[in-house]
Amino acid sequence: MQQKLRNEAKKLLEENKVDYIIGFAPGSLKFSITPLITKEKEEVADLVINPFIVNNLAKFLTEIPGRVGIVAKACDSRSIVSLIQDNQVIRENVVIIGVPCSGLIDIAKVEKLVCKDRDAISDIALNGEKITVTIGGRNTELPKEDVLFDNCLACEFPTPREYDILIGEPVDSTSSRSDRNKIKELEGLTSEQRWDFWKSQFSRCIKCYACRQVCPACFCERCFVEESEPQWVSPVPKWQDNLIFQVIRNIHLAGRCTDCGECERVCPVNIPLRSLTKKMCEIVNEMFNYQAGTDKNAPPLMTAYEYEEAKNLIR
Amino acid sequence: MTTNKINKEDTLKLLKEWSREFTVFVPSKDNGVAAMVEWDGKDIGFLDWYRNTTIPAKSSFLPPMEEMFSFQNNGDGYQLKLSPDQHKRIIFGIRPCDARALSIIDKVFTESYEDPFYVSKRENTVLIGLSCTNPYDSCFCTSLEVKPTESADVDLMFTDTGDKFIIEEITDKGKDLLALTGVVKKATKADVAKATVVKASISKMVTRKIDTKNISKKLQASFGDKDYWMKVAAKCISCGICTLLCPTCCCFDICDELSKKQGARYRRWDSCGFSNYTQMPMENPREEKWRRVRQKVCHKFEFYPMNSEVIACTGCGRCIRLCPVNWDITEVLASMPAEQLTKK
Repeated sequence: MQQKLRNEAKKLLEENKVDYIIGFAPGSLKFSITPLITKEKEEVADLVINPFIVNNLAKFLTEIPGRVGIVAKACDSRSIVSLIQDNQVIRENVVIIGVPCSGLIDIAKVEKLVCKDRDAISDIALNGEKITVTIGGRNTELPKEDVLFDNCLACEFPTPREYDILIGEPVDSTSSRSDRNKIKELEGLTSEQRWDFWKSQFSRCIKCYACRQVCPACFCERCFVEESEPQWVSPVPKWQDNLIFQVIRNIHLAGRCTDCGECERVCPVNIPLRSLTKKMCEIVNEMFNYQAGTDKNAPPLMTAYEYEEAKNLIR
Repeated sequence: MTTNKINKEDTLKLLKEWSREFTVFVPSKDNGVAAMVEWDGKDIGFLDWYRNTTIPAKSSFLPPMEEMFSFQNNGDGYQLKLSPDQHKRIIFGIRPCDARALSIIDKVFTESYEDPFYVSKRENTVLIGLSCTNPYDSCFCTSLEVKPTESADVDLMFTDTGDKFIIEEITDKGKDLLALTGVVKKATKADVAKATVVKASISKMVTRKIDTKNISKKLQASFGDKDYWMKVAAKCISCGICTLLCPTCCCFDICDELSKKQGARYRRWDSCGFSNYTQMPMENPREEKWRRVRQKVCHKFEFYPMNSEVIACTGCGRCIRLCPVNWDITEVLASMPAEQLTKK
């Protein structure tokens, strides 16, 4: 599969069908990967596909000029479609190299289950419905369901629906609802308790904006938080302002968020941001029967409305 | 220098004794992220899990946000309330890389001006170092003249030798602290010998390296190579993780908050990685991402050494382990165009 990907990427560059290839290369730490953005056909020999290809590379499409060949998991391909809907990406300029994905391994979950940090683990191997973790010659088997990212557990579209080249065989959805455990817990709280919960979470936010920067749907040239006249939120990381930032970000992401889970993964202070974004996606689906990035010809959700909706919503 | 020891199980007693006179800070994950947090008076479980904190110890001296003063108008003019931090504190368990980082940023807060907020906290704090016995694979401190057991930047240095901590008295501040407690004993020659063996073995565990020889010159020679910096910067997402959580990054921004007849002035962490960091009314000299990435690297390894004769990096590895895209400073420095020239 990996070899096929490298061949296809090389061919795209050689035949001058694209100017750049964006894909995944091995990272410098164990079980890490790093985005590879290159014009050089020699460098595509580094491209990899494995259960650790976490980044949503669609993020880079809005900043790389020219024609781009991009390796896309299903959630990334939905983000690309969403960007096409929003006129941020021109379909003809992108060659989508789709990669069916049966879920990515959340190292943080593995670390917790085996009580070892990433760098103390020698190997993590995916074998069907189990993963085998090797630590100092000893193997531990864990059910796949326990170590996949929450958003992967919920994935309804594991095979990209929008692609030009598909690498590997389509994968069936095995989506379960166990991804909602954290959300369910929050739904069970009173609104006062929920308020206290988010207050404590956002109290440790340091405003590094990694959640926004990693998000393909956050493509605004200038984010509202950086406006100074008027200043919508304070630049000081007070919990109230941190919370408002996420609330407004979520509203902006309605109909754009594809539940790729990157915001929660990259947060250095472990704020469970997906508990907000996933809930928002559910509300969007419930109210508008809309799943982001599934139809490139559909108008962006928040820029269009049906007469019936207007009757019910705008009074 | 006198060397002492304490049985590890007596750490609880020791911290209790100290907390009568000091506010004690220890590594904690209670707030959802590993950071130095005020000790709860009972839990020493951190001794089992602590490698290094995600939030560097600089946050105890330059917090993510800090009220500098507040003011209020009660009808008879404005009243100013200053809020400097004055209480006596102990930071227990600071790692050598983070302690060295404080020595490095001291220059910023004392040399060209004396920063009362930072300096008062430094003066009122005793640093108790804890040798690193389990460095991360992302650590590269030994390339920056910081050993995982380095004691130069703390007041007392603890080294774990199994069932005991060996304690080195480094400063008078540290010595005074030991006088307050009865659970510390003199170390024997055998204890000291064991600590020496432990220390030597830990340094070998740090395998990631950078070559600091002529690093300023190499960066100077690479500065104008736009293609190189653009390539290096391509995957950076311009978030603030590597800078805000760097123990030697100490840029801050000052913001005023005003409401009716009252307000406050705050400072907060800022990052040269943000596109609006150098935003000015007319232009932004570092609008493009590659210029910001270059600035970050050059500030640490070229400009800071030029001004203060020390590299502004202690090899703590946070910027590598926490980076969302695995942008690795050690790889970047090794791939500099000038580096390639010297190899040919």
